[in-house]
Amino acid sequence: MPKARPADYRSKIRKPDDFDAFWSDVLRQASTVPLEPEVVPDPLRTSDDVEVFQVFYTSIDHVRIAAWYCRPVRRAARTPAVMVLPGYQMDPPIPKEWARKGYVALSVAPRGKLRSNRQFNPGYPNLLTHNIVDRHTYAYRGFYVDTWRGIDFLLARPEVEPTLLGVTGSSQGGGLTITTAAMRPEVRAASAGAPYLCGFADAIELTHTYPYEEINDYVRRHPERRADVEQTIAYFDGINFADRISCPIIMNIGLQDNVCPPETGYVLFDRIGAADKRLYPYDGHGHDAGRARHGAVTDAFFARHLPGREVSP
Amino acid sequence: MTQYWDDVLAALARYPARPEIEPLPLRSTTFATLYGVRLTSLGPYRLFGYLSIPTGAGPFPAIYYPPKYQSVLEIIPQGTANLQRSRYVTFSLAGRGQRNADTPYAAMFPGLLTEGVDDAASYMFRGIVADSVRGLEFLLTRREVDATRVVVAGNDIALITAALGSGATSVVTTPALFYRTAELAPKTHGYPLEEINDYLHLHPARAEAVRRTLAHYDLLGFAPGVTAATLLMAGAPGTLLDGPALGPLATALRGPVTVYESQQSLYKDGLYSERWMAEQCGITDVQSILPAHWRD
Repeated sequence: MPKARPADYRSKIRKPDDFDAFWSDVLRQASTVPLEPEVVPDPLRTSDDVEVFQVFYTSIDHVRIAAWYCRPVRRAARTPAVMVLPGYQMDPPIPKEWARKGYVALSVAPRGKLRSNRQFNPGYPNLLTHNIVDRHTYAYRGFYVDTWRGIDFLLARPEVEPTLLGVTGSSQGGGLTITTAAMRPEVRAASAGAPYLCGFADAIELTHTYPYEEINDYVRRHPERRADVEQTIAYFDGINFADRISCPIIMNIGLQDNVCPPETGYVLFDRIGAADKRLYPYDGHGHDAGRARHGAVTDAFFARHLPGREVSP
Repeated sequence: MTQYWDDVLAALARYPARPEIEPLPLRSTTFATLYGVRLTSLGPYRLFGYLSIPTGAGPFPAIYYPPKYQSVLEIIPQGTANLQRSRYVTFSLAGRGQRNADTPYAAMFPGLLTEGVDDAASYMFRGIVADSVRGLEFLLTRREVDATRVVVAGNDIALITAALGSGATSVVTTPALFYRTAELAPKTHGYPLEEINDYLHLHPARAEAVRRTLAHYDLLGFAPGVTAATLLMAGAPGTLLDGPALGPLATALRGPVTVYESQQSLYKDGLYSERWMAEQCGITDVQSILPAHWRD
């Protein structure tokens, strides 16, 4: 029997009726917490062309969040900025390469990541199922807010042009790109690769690889909690955020992705609300989602939507 | 082997592993049981690993995943079908500084590559290499393991472990840290090698000391000690560590060598590696333990 085409997949993801109300309440809670940004020069990582800083700010539940902040030495008074979001198990990178392209760049370490794990540290594996029976305390409630607060940090920086903010990432970073673009209207352009956290309930049936396998492990061990798990993850599914996205957005997926099934990528793309959207499916590629070929596409996309950089000759 | 490494192994031998092995029911399935393992390494330093044993009568082929260059310790590498654990004993080890082995020392990424790099005697990787050797020693004590089919799969540490330890029958290595490091780092801005550039930019006077330390770790020095069959995963053509760049390393290895140049596809590269390991271990139906999206 021929394999089904990923694009033909029928998703079971449904948005809860009180989805918007839930997130409005979370944002209200977050808004009561002062950002308290701290920017510390990092001479070890600073080079002749890029200044590097360690950044800290406070997020919901008063958790202190770390980030790397890079800015080109040669830059305009107001420079476009890109926020870079990390994969599930990767350590957040120092985004020097973005600064070398002329952008101010922020690479966030949401709670639980290295340097942001003093107050919250469920571990890996475990983050994906930490308090997964309760949307009000599920790990990703704070994790998502941590990334959205990164936009607040950028908006507070005098060297950032506030009308020219982009967001990008792959895998979990792709999923966080989706949720950030959905929840922060200040984002003017978004590029999401191999989005994770999109189609949880579909993915755990389509693939048996970690990290999604953490949920299968949990439900196998606690079958009586399945309904609670399903209820919680619906509130955190990027697919349910997607209709709120209005900025230009590009997405790349690998058709042999063994981590984030391509089926979920197609469903997500269909649900994105933006009129200016484009999907790049790469056959012959897995969780890299064609990164090596797609890099030039991403660069051109941001150059078009985030103009005004000083570009080195 | 040099006096430096003789001394490391001799120091390691003074500390018994004293393993503690506890089942982890949350990550156990009908086809494999997962255990958390604590054991002692050089220092002394207490490490942590995930040991997975297939259900059924062994012995089974084994894959040893030595410490990676990241803070997170995975049970099996992200994207690997969980069913891999039905056919292989797997053991993944957190070296000192990684999660679950980050007390008292928590490594930073980036940062670990230059931790103590100006002094070979205190360079952090001296301990991490010892940790990795200790992990292989532990794995080989398990009666479930078929000692004729033991793969060590990882980055540079995999190759170094196969050279310094005994018992690896196959090696999959993706060099990223310790191949001609002092020479190649200035040619890239990419981490982790950029850590070397950062360090020397701030401490130019330490360049010679750094070079001396890194010389102890160069894969070319370990290659003559590797008799296992080796899959050398090179970068894509034209990249810093592509096939031609790794040519001298391939030549220096004593066992049979296969050089694979990345096709910049985690699917194609991963599939090649999975098939190669299965072939080395006599597993003829690799399809059954591949991720669903990689099957024919």
